[in-house]
Amino acid sequence: MINNNTDQITTAQAAVIVSNFLLGTGVLTLPRVAAEAAGTPDVWLSVLIGGMIAIAAGIIMAVLSKSHPGLTVFQYNKSLLGKWIGGLISAAFIIYFFMLAGYQVRALTEVTSLFLLEGTPSWAIIIAFMWVSLYLMTGGLNPIARLFEIILPLTIVIYLFVMFMGFSIFELDNLRPVLGQGFMPVLAGVKPTALSFIGVEIILILTAFMKQPAKSVKAVVYGTAITVILYLITVIMVIGALSVDGVLTRTWPTLDLVRSFELPGLIFERFESLLLVIWIMQIYSSYTISYYAASLGLSQLLNINLTSCLFALLPVVYIISNIPKNLDVLFAFGDLLGNTAIYLVGCIPFALLLLTKWKKGSRG
Amino acid sequence: MKITFNRTKYLLIGLCTCSLLIQTGCWSKDEIEELSIYVGVALDQAKETKLEAKLGKLAVNANDRKLLSVTLQIVNKQSEEKGGNSAGDPATKAYLNVSETGDSIIDMIRQLSTRMERPAIGHHLKVIVINEQLARHKSMYQLLDFFLRDNDIRPNCVVMMSSGLAKHTLEAKGNSIVPAFRLMGMLENRYRTLKIMPRMTLYKLEKHMHAESSYMLQNVVAAEGEVKLSGAAVIKGKTQKFRGLLNEEELLGVILLSGEAEGGIIKCVNEKTNEMIAYELKAMNSEIYTSVDGDNVSFDVKMKSEGRIIEDWSENSGPIDDAYRAGVEQSVEREIMRLAKQGLDKIQKEYKADVVGFGTRLSIEQPKLWQKVKKNWDQAFSRIPITYSVELTITETGTEKSQ
Repeated sequence: MINNNTDQITTAQAAVIVSNFLLGTGVLTLPRVAAEAAGTPDVWLSVLIGGMIAIAAGIIMAVLSKSHPGLTVFQYNKSLLGKWIGGLISAAFIIYFFMLAGYQVRALTEVTSLFLLEGTPSWAIIIAFMWVSLYLMTGGLNPIARLFEIILPLTIVIYLFVMFMGFSIFELDNLRPVLGQGFMPVLAGVKPTALSFIGVEIILILTAFMKQPAKSVKAVVYGTAITVILYLITVIMVIGALSVDGVLTRTWPTLDLVRSFELPGLIFERFESLLLVIWIMQIYSSYTISYYAASLGLSQLLNINLTSCLFALLPVVYIISNIPKNLDVLFAFGDLLGNTAIYLVGCIPFALLLLTKWKKGSRG
Repeated sequence: MKITFNRTKYLLIGLCTCSLLIQTGCWSKDEIEELSIYVGVALDQAKETKLEAKLGKLAVNANDRKLLSVTLQIVNKQSEEKGGNSAGDPATKAYLNVSETGDSIIDMIRQLSTRMERPAIGHHLKVIVINEQLARHKSMYQLLDFFLRDNDIRPNCVVMMSSGLAKHTLEAKGNSIVPAFRLMGMLENRYRTLKIMPRMTLYKLEKHMHAESSYMLQNVVAAEGEVKLSGAAVIKGKTQKFRGLLNEEELLGVILLSGEAEGGIIKCVNEKTNEMIAYELKAMNSEIYTSVDGDNVSFDVKMKSEGRIIEDWSENSGPIDDAYRAGVEQSVEREIMRLAKQGLDKIQKEYKADVVGFGTRLSIEQPKLWQKVKKNWDQAFSRIPITYSVELTITETGTEKSQ
């Protein structure tokens, strides 16, 4: 299947999509997840290291995709590894992507029904959300990219505004001592941040749609760097305000930070609704792109029309989103996705890259 | 062809119009007029009000265990409306207090739905006042669990302690006052007096509860509809239960030691003239220095303050020169040392509770050592030698040049 030439995106758009995919569910739980594993206020270092690793993985994937211009991972898999093994790996990627889509939707319902729409049945939230997203996806990648270009700057401005409001309750002592127990806790905190960095792998697919595939490395580095900076600010503000001990017991620590201050006199006294609104937009974009990636993979693997794949996956994702019985199972599901990502996104592309180089070398 | 196109068009317009009808409004809306917004909660030992006892006799099923009483302060919407129109209605109070006795806080709050037509919501809860006797037997984990867990109540809600009945602090004489708002307003006065401690909010409590560290809660007393912030209650880290009270002077000493003073008056007798003199503190900080020798820790607190002479009762008029100033500085410094000693003796020797934050300092400067002592920090703290000193500068003497 040859990609439609008109459905192309610029380098900046590719970077924006990477950023939007990264900024998802993770940001609300990141401070707790990292603090649980590290146990010291140095978690921001863990996030920084995690971000560096994500960027490195992103570069590997971008280089890999660059050497197969115009093809997505699902397509060059086949030519590299043959029909069966390649197909199997593609299938793993596809399953991973729609599991991720299901996870995003479910996390969205959990938070909205707790803080925003108490009493609204979850199916009403999920279905409306999925339909709106489907409408966008039927237009192809270009409309998705253009919408994301509107969402990302809005998110950054509002998010930074809300986070910096938290300075009123920020205490530097909560972030100290730095490296008080050596470097080991920092390293322990790196792995749990994986879930927050899920999303770089989209470059495996995006490169095929880029006008200048040669610049895919640039796109993934910029896209990830934006997110790493936002994550760093989040972790520093949340731990600085609520402290490691205060964060450990909270389900959604980032929301709790915003719920912990009021600024009388401004037009808004409370900012959590504002944060939730942009967060829903972010989940929307993460969900859309992972769903789109899953459908595209399916259509390329089985040679079916993309639109029918988009429709066919709807009930599957809906059912996946309903599987976790409670929040604990949902978080375990998220951890599972994060761990899968480490192998799927960390190891396989590297192997594929070596294989590509080797094949090229033997040919030349 | 043209007709069918138009038909689809009309069909679409029709569909759009129909969909508009279901687009307005919200799925699970609650009208604000139909809600009871509670702004204050008082937790007391179980004691049924007369009304509750009467209702209890008539009710068909009332066999809850009687563990504690909860009083909710609900903002009276109607009187507020009237207040806006005609400058306060003298006949109705701006608030409504309702009490319930039972064993689960959320259950008692929900019970109120069987007594009032408007359901209570906690989005605007500002203050929780806990009775001292109740906190002696029940830990903060138990008393505050619901408030920390609930998704409506915000973590910036303030927690206070009352040495009398907590529900009395939520009562006011006049009809224009909402007592919970009055308490919040009083906490804002920290820049005027040294006898109010920084507000202790739920999110800060959560940290102390999880770290098992000791802390203070502002004490408030009430009589005849008037309230007064007086001293502080010390909560022990390990048990999270009430340990004892600090009186106003002891609290002042602790606040000075922790360097959290924002502004206020320190009065003392000028040693030279033997008359009362008042020093207005304008800036203050304190540094805790840790020194470790083997496993022996000691602390040194250096307090620094700037301020002015605001009242002087000495009669023999003369110019305020450097010598006089130095004399005043010395007298005030001595007074601060006395207050600090009083406060420190109480928390260190009697209550054995580190509410100043020596532990935090140690954890920052000696993280390895802290890991060893943190389990039994309050005990260790009680044996650690602490020295302190104060450096005071009088920068001005107000609009008077001489005594």
